[in-house]
Amino acid sequence: MSDAERPDEAGADLPDETFEGEPRYCSYTEYSAGTGHPDLPRTGEGASGIERRVWDVLYEVEDPEMPVSIVDLGLIYNVYVDSASGEARVDMTLTYTGCPARDYLLSSVERAVESVDGVEDALVNLVWSPEWSVEMVTEEGREALREFGVSI
Amino acid sequence: MRRLDPSVDVASDGPATCPYCGSEETTREHPRGPSLCKSIHYCNSCEESFEKMG
Repeated sequence: MSDAERPDEAGADLPDETFEGEPRYCSYTEYSAGTGHPDLPRTGEGASGIERRVWDVLYEVEDPEMPVSIVDLGLIYNVYVDSASGEARVDMTLTYTGCPARDYLLSSVERAVESVDGVEDALVNLVWSPEWSVEMVTEEGREALREFGVSI
Repeated sequence: MRRLDPSVDVASDGPATCPYCGSEETTREHPRGPSLCKSIHYCNSCEESFEKMG
């Protein structure tokens, strides 16, 4: 913007936007060291049968920006499969609420889970609690990120 | 008055470890990288820029 187009800040009659008391735009999520969660991340350890196959396809879904599995990022909080009806439910979170890859990731997960033999219907349940933090990244995930050139 | 980008307030918790050489002689250049879940850092030891999750 050239100076000629720039509004005169001293005289501009613009509202002072502080957004106090209103929903805050979520792209400014503050990151700080978290405490992690005793039951998370879940990695499908010990899963068998259809659930095992669901975990296996989840491992193949990668973050769109980094070559790391969403399971190793700690995004998957739970997998339930009703083997009788073939209904599967994946509880997952995202690294922040305003993640632009939200729709991409959710539909990738849904498609991956629906492709599993024995799964008739997949529901992806987006959860925000407990809040994701970098402590949820698995050791394999940390290694993959470091190899890619991202510090964690 | 122009509002300050709130992301510049984000606290930094200690130096990031360089993913290339492992040095902690690093400085944070910006609290946000090309994606909002990463910040931009510079390694004074191997002179590489890198991103950090969180």
